[in-house]
Amino acid sequence: MNLRDLQRSFVTNLLGAGASPPGASMEGMSVYAHAYHSQLLTCLRDTHAKTREWIGEEAFDKAGKAYVSVHRPHSWSLDDYGDGFASYLGEEWPDDPDVGELAWLDWTLRRAFSGPDATPVAMASLTDVHWDDAVLTFAPTLRWRYVRSNVAALWRALDEETSPPMAAPGSVPPALRVWRHGFSTRFASMSAIEAACLDLATMGASFGEVCRDLAARVGEEEAASGAGSMLGDWLREGVVTAVR
Amino acid sequence: MQRNGITPFHGFGIGLRPPHYEDFLAAPARVDFVEVISENFMVDGGRPLDILHRVRDRHAVALHGVSMNIGAVDGVDVAYIRRLRQLADRIDPLWVSDHLCWTGVDGFNSHDLLPLPYTEEALALVCANLDRVQDALGRPLLMENPSTYVAFDGARMSEPEFLAAMCSRTGCQLLLDVNNIYVSATNHDLSTDTWLDELPWQHVRQVHLAGHSQGEHMLIDTHDAPVPRSVWELYAKACARMGPVATMIERDDHIPPLVELLAELDMARDIAFVATASRREHAA
Repeated sequence: MNLRDLQRSFVTNLLGAGASPPGASMEGMSVYAHAYHSQLLTCLRDTHAKTREWIGEEAFDKAGKAYVSVHRPHSWSLDDYGDGFASYLGEEWPDDPDVGELAWLDWTLRRAFSGPDATPVAMASLTDVHWDDAVLTFAPTLRWRYVRSNVAALWRALDEETSPPMAAPGSVPPALRVWRHGFSTRFASMSAIEAACLDLATMGASFGEVCRDLAARVGEEEAASGAGSMLGDWLREGVVTAVR
Repeated sequence: MQRNGITPFHGFGIGLRPPHYEDFLAAPARVDFVEVISENFMVDGGRPLDILHRVRDRHAVALHGVSMNIGAVDGVDVAYIRRLRQLADRIDPLWVSDHLCWTGVDGFNSHDLLPLPYTEEALALVCANLDRVQDALGRPLLMENPSTYVAFDGARMSEPEFLAAMCSRTGCQLLLDVNNIYVSATNHDLSTDTWLDELPWQHVRQVHLAGHSQGEHMLIDTHDAPVPRSVWELYAKACARMGPVATMIERDDHIPPLVELLAELDMARDIAFVATASRREHAA
């Protein structure tokens, strides 16, 4: 057996099918198989700590083992394993959106932790900006999504070891953004209006275009104050790294 | 491409792991160097890289990888090597090391150090991959002997013979993991003394010391316990043969307070001092 065939045979056995490569003992191969599966499960547990805490060790491990059995790693970086686990959990718990959304938040915070560095724009540098034409550049770690659960409050409660709040119907902020400010990973809830504005702005629309879109949604008067407030939040929170 | 040599270095160190970051940032630790897992710092940014730079200001750093896949039949991942080169250029490490193993095939990555058959075919492949990597990094690598749990039909060489031929053909050097010798020799019912007899000692540039655990059928390289007596005894024998070589304690699970690891490191210092005494007397 040549080396390529031996390695293929080894992997097939590792994944639970096929005989051991010639000469390799079953006892020895079981050590590798155990290490493979347990390392990937440990990785999922590590990167989705709050989710594990929320649904419990048993349910998490059951889902994690099922995920590992069908999702094979391909990247050289173990950090990449688990990209997709949040979606998987969302599909497994279709009536409990908090599970998949909490996993998304766990995962996205972890990615932001070691994501690209960026320096927030200094307020003092913005005195001469012509805001109608200004295009904002955002922190490279910024990610956002719509949510159906009170996932932000849930994550904080788990982090502070307090009782998770009950989600009153209709009271849940419908979107969430994640980013890193300095070395501190952060997240914040957003209204549907802010999410729409952020969506436009991250696609390269000028601030003037964002304001006009906002005005079409809420009216001129509310848009003027709303846009200023929103921009102030983004600047203070280190979400914006350049204005050009 | 020119490959610079490895500057002689004979200190004692530990593997730098997250539970000890604050200790290292608070004050210089009583170590001559630290070793870090390369992949943990082959990231875009954030606190890990900042910590590594700050530790590097105080201590010499060795880069130790687990994902090079030097036994890859598809060839090593160019993107991985490029990223490793970036890190090495940033950190200016003592040296860069990885393992004699393969990690996957056909795009699959096991994230484990899988064993190679010690055949001429595997040797030729490893040497070809090493040549490419050493050229790309512009430096010779240190390759570590792995813990293994299986052997294959058709192997024509012992592991030390394979290591010797690999070093001779490529100019790479060795990271000798004494615990791995003990684990592999025990699992394959081999003599550790024979293992030591066949080693190309002139190529050993660093030593790993670690603990292992007893699995159901064999010893497992778990790095989750203090260095056991069996490994200390083997280390003493190794020191007597190789003389002063950079040595470190490797602990990856059940990580104790730093002071406990430093006490273990003192033990390594003492053993190395005593074991190399006869060499010093002979030289005098």
